[in-house]
Amino acid sequence: MRPIRIALTKGRLEKDTVRLFEQLGFDCEQLHNKGRKLILEIPDANLEIVLAKAADVITYIEHGVCDMGVVGKDTILEYGGTFFEVVDLGFGRCKFALAGKKGGDFYAGYTEKTIATKYPNVTRSFFESKGMDVKIVKIEGSVELAPLLGLSDAIVDIVETGSTLRENGLEVYEDVTDISARLIVNTVSLKLYKKEMEQIIGLIEKAVAGCGKDGNND
Amino acid sequence: MIIIMEKNKLVTPEGTKDYLFEEAVLRKKIETKLRDAFELRGYHEVVTPGLEFMDVFTTIENSIPVEQMYKLVDPKGRLMVLRPDSTMPIARLCATRLKQEYVPLRLYYNQAVFSVNQSLRGRSDEIMQTGIELIGVSNKKADIEVLVTAMKALQNLGIDRFRMEIGHIGIFNSLISGLKVSPEEKESIRFLIQSKNYPALQDVLNGLPYSEEVAVLKILPRLFGGQEVFEKVESMVKDPSILELLQYLKELYQSLAMLGLKEKITVDLGIVNRTDYYTGIVFKGYVEGYGEEILSGGRYDSLLQEFGKDWGAVGFGVNVDSAVNALLSAKDHKLRPISVLVYSEPEYQMAALEHVESLADQGIVSEYSLADTQEEAVFYAGEKGITRIDLVGETVKIINR
Repeated sequence: MRPIRIALTKGRLEKDTVRLFEQLGFDCEQLHNKGRKLILEIPDANLEIVLAKAADVITYIEHGVCDMGVVGKDTILEYGGTFFEVVDLGFGRCKFALAGKKGGDFYAGYTEKTIATKYPNVTRSFFESKGMDVKIVKIEGSVELAPLLGLSDAIVDIVETGSTLRENGLEVYEDVTDISARLIVNTVSLKLYKKEMEQIIGLIEKAVAGCGKDGNND
Repeated sequence: MIIIMEKNKLVTPEGTKDYLFEEAVLRKKIETKLRDAFELRGYHEVVTPGLEFMDVFTTIENSIPVEQMYKLVDPKGRLMVLRPDSTMPIARLCATRLKQEYVPLRLYYNQAVFSVNQSLRGRSDEIMQTGIELIGVSNKKADIEVLVTAMKALQNLGIDRFRMEIGHIGIFNSLISGLKVSPEEKESIRFLIQSKNYPALQDVLNGLPYSEEVAVLKILPRLFGGQEVFEKVESMVKDPSILELLQYLKELYQSLAMLGLKEKITVDLGIVNRTDYYTGIVFKGYVEGYGEEILSGGRYDSLLQEFGKDWGAVGFGVNVDSAVNALLSAKDHKLRPISVLVYSEPEYQMAALEHVESLADQGIVSEYSLADTQEEAVFYAGEKGITRIDLVGETVKIINR
């Protein structure tokens, strides 16, 4: 059988996932010394690892060129798509939040509010659920600039520690939703390679559950 | 100087494409194979309009999302759509022009459907679909007939590594109707099961008081595989109506296993798609190396009521374009090569064209050369890899190269 192909989101989630794989006893030699290679092998487990940008992980899974992948819930919420979302990996925790200038009263008045964000779909569905019309401006870089420069009334962005917000005189008005890394799976692969896929999913579930317990004991 | 902008005249719209040669041939082959399979089982072809009133697809219970349809406005200001689905217009036509007929009606279709997809995701907006609808009878015989036809259809296409997966939407519906939750919560549970979101489903269901239904719903997305799925769930369920549905599904599974294709059939109790009009069995066909299902179908016993006729029905459609992709990568599909180049001087053209006819009668593919000289024709044959040239004059001279 061909190897099961797993797409990882490059960067922090990749590091966390590699740590998880090592915990499972996989040989992660190639993942540590990857050089410029984009497709790597975990030879002992018949796995192939692909490194990609977050949204591309979803694209590869949807089209079935990768069987499973690790991607943040933020990307899933923004890009959507058809796949199975089988495990909450527990790492990469942060949240989407509505934030703006400190002391501001975002919901005051009836004027239309402008929101700057890298995540227009998340923003739209958040305000839709409130039945509120807002103007959404897509920003590619540091979203925090927009309210400071007077372009927007608030931002919807990923908040981890909140230190960037604080240092720039901004604060969280409201939490939108919690985020963590997820294991997603192509809908056909799960059926066609049931045994192999369930074995890996089972191992990961077990490891993640174990981590949760350790965390609670601390 | 006036510059007229015609920047779109050289490209096809996103989500559409031209089908050339091998792809076109293979597409036609697949259509023909499916057609033959359906006709030999007593199904008759229907063609519905490419352009229909939007109302057909926005019936109360079974609406196709408006944003997924290509819409137009007719000269009277009425909303029209490019056919987004074949089953709904066939339900319309059965409930109108065929309402006096004896049932069952066995119909098949082979036509394109259009849908607006999110851009830049590599999806097709125009898809050729071929499928059957067995209308007017709601029993096990009908379900089995359609399932077997679906299996045979996939098998006949020459796809070795395919898989059929069956489920029953009634199992989920019975389970969820036993819970005291709001319609929004029901929808959220349904979505979590559909996307096999195990952790979030646990969280939601852990918040509900324990019951047999909750316990089964929790593991529903994991209930896929072979015979063992039935054993697992039967031990958990006491509700006789659910046991009856499970028994029904098990009997279908075992009937199909008798075809000698047991390893090709699996069960998934977690197929619970919202946009479906399905009310009973649901099934999907997969092939190895292709990331989406290429066949899907099920029983829809309430759709025809929306058009005023109380008939149940069951059917499926094959996504011909997906099948083309799956087969194109799997096998060599050569075009019929040109065997003979026929050349003549202008005064012998009529004789030469008759020679082309006589070759055609023998099943030999030939091409009449439009070259001005024999040298040019020989050169052309060399370029095109045609190994035989027939020179037509008073007699026919055959040159093998």
